[in-house]
Amino acid sequence: MLDFSALDGAYSILTSSWSAWLWLIPGLVIGLVFGAMPGISITMAMAIFLPITLYMDFLPAIVFLTSIYTGAGFGGSVPAVLMNIPGTSSAVATTFDGYPMARSGRHNQALGVALASSVMGTLSSYVLLLFLIVPVSIIVLKLGPLEMFVIAVWGLLLLGSLAGSSVWRGLLAGIFGVLLGTIGMNTAGFIRGTMGVPWLLDGIPAIPAMMGLLAASQLLNLINTTYLIENEDDRKISFAKIIDGVKLTFKSPIIIFRGATIGVVIGAIPGVGSSISNLISYSETKRNAPDGDSFGTGNPKGVIAAESANSSSEGGAMATMLALGIPGGGATAILLAAFAMHNIIGGPQFIAQNRDIVYAIIFSNFAQAILLLIVGMGFVYLAASIVRVPLRFLIPSVLVVSTFGSYAILGSLAGPITLFVFAILGWAMVRYDYPVAATVVGLLLGSLLEQNIIRTWQISRGDLGYLLERPGAILILVVMIASIAFTALSKRRRKITSSVTDPAES
Amino acid sequence: MGEPSQRRVVIWGHLLLLCVVAVVILAYWLDARGTSLKINNLLLVQPAAIFGLILVALVLPQVFPKVPREDVPDAAQRRKELLEVGRVALLAGAFGIFVFSLETIGFDIATFVFVAVGLYLCGEKKLWVVGTYSAVFSVLVVYGYQALVPYPFPLTIL
Repeated sequence: MLDFSALDGAYSILTSSWSAWLWLIPGLVIGLVFGAMPGISITMAMAIFLPITLYMDFLPAIVFLTSIYTGAGFGGSVPAVLMNIPGTSSAVATTFDGYPMARSGRHNQALGVALASSVMGTLSSYVLLLFLIVPVSIIVLKLGPLEMFVIAVWGLLLLGSLAGSSVWRGLLAGIFGVLLGTIGMNTAGFIRGTMGVPWLLDGIPAIPAMMGLLAASQLLNLINTTYLIENEDDRKISFAKIIDGVKLTFKSPIIIFRGATIGVVIGAIPGVGSSISNLISYSETKRNAPDGDSFGTGNPKGVIAAESANSSSEGGAMATMLALGIPGGGATAILLAAFAMHNIIGGPQFIAQNRDIVYAIIFSNFAQAILLLIVGMGFVYLAASIVRVPLRFLIPSVLVVSTFGSYAILGSLAGPITLFVFAILGWAMVRYDYPVAATVVGLLLGSLLEQNIIRTWQISRGDLGYLLERPGAILILVVMIASIAFTALSKRRRKITSSVTDPAES
Repeated sequence: MGEPSQRRVVIWGHLLLLCVVAVVILAYWLDARGTSLKINNLLLVQPAAIFGLILVALVLPQVFPKVPREDVPDAAQRRKELLEVGRVALLAGAFGIFVFSLETIGFDIATFVFVAVGLYLCGEKKLWVVGTYSAVFSVLVVYGYQALVPYPFPLTIL
């Protein structure tokens, strides 16, 4: 699994040239700042700095860009915890418990937990990557559209188990999101639901819709509140409490390990990646935790599960990109572009001939993860000040920043209009207890689901027997059904336990 | 016989939301069918739309819950709730006007006006604070995003 001569080569590369190391901290800081800004995605941050890397050597360029990737990966969770705005789709599950923690005055701890989980997730994913890069690339090549479809359905159904009071409302929110996600032109060239609006041909802009559903809707709701945290004593920014959060994370090594494994495996699948891995990790942890009922109300384990999975997806996505030359998303596509700018083509040949460089990239990511803990600690200390800002300043300001961010994505009013419409929809859904996260994930996965079910239909020519020819899909289906059955069972067991203990308590 | 201890109420807002969801799903399904009846067009949309409408029917009874008589909101509670929703509606309305006026009056003026109105609606009554904060914030956000984003923002003054 490990090529020791290549390891030795990687060591020489990293110690002979110090220029690569110089770019670690600037990359992390840029990533953190950009990741924490609503509307500025990891991809956008990396794209802005891509031209600079043309003037660097190959390794410093990749180290710089991956540092931005690592920093922005965590940066996105800062607004997720403090304002319920997931910087990226991969931070959706972080909001489930991170935001309730912040609202109840445990913002310092929540940020510490998110930071340490991210660091541990990134570190473990690259350790796994070191050993698994070859086998993972073989598995990814075997995944067809049917497997991708089943994984996407799994992600969506999980939201039913994450949903609040009513399963029907959870499923309706999810299916509504899926339908909205298929608006526009599908892969077969049919145009539906655009109402003649040209920009809807590419579908509803997902990031503005997500910002509207999750963030702007919350901001509208907060108009009747004075501060994010009502109790003045709880608003304090405490370095000690951030450290407490970091310490708390290390008490849950199993959750971190599970999150990292889910993150690497799901993150390696192009197009699916971190937007599902954080949900699967969250729901698995919720199912296994003895205090699973408190998830969604500010349980730090929820933050650990989500953050360890989404940060470790970076390792998975890197595996696919390095081993196969297939970018799993925007960020890895930019890394691939940086490879091309230095006349290097990612893929099986690159990994076979330049294993020392691959190992050097992996090692530099270890350093990035460790440095992220230090740089991130200072960053969250500054970012936590937001809880001291009165909401009357925060509400219009964040609405404006979100609007600028949504305009920045497409360069037209399409973004702000989507943001506005989905803010109203999100506000109404939250008011009547529908899980907006289910709609968000449905919206993100709608076109992916349709694309893969159409491909499966075309390959199988409508023959259901095709499923039997795909053992991978059957395996995923079995795991999915077992996971949902276990969730239902543990929910039932908890209900019975609480009905037995409650009368005794009263 | 005494009065029944529970009373059925109608949650009008929820009913409205459910109607909107149902109408959107139905309109989208009909539009998709109007585009083409080919399987490549309807393979996911049709079953998902049917499933969505079934779910709407399953959620519908939750719009008319039975609540204990003592939990039925009185006139004062209803007025308070209406006031809260009214404030949200005002802010949402201002936000809508801001969004649709961005390209007409420019991002700089629209931002200044919206932040000022938003601040006032959210409870800041000192006019000099409203004016100063809106102006400084507008300048910072416009120049900040202009430096970061490759698209030009239509502006009137800045």
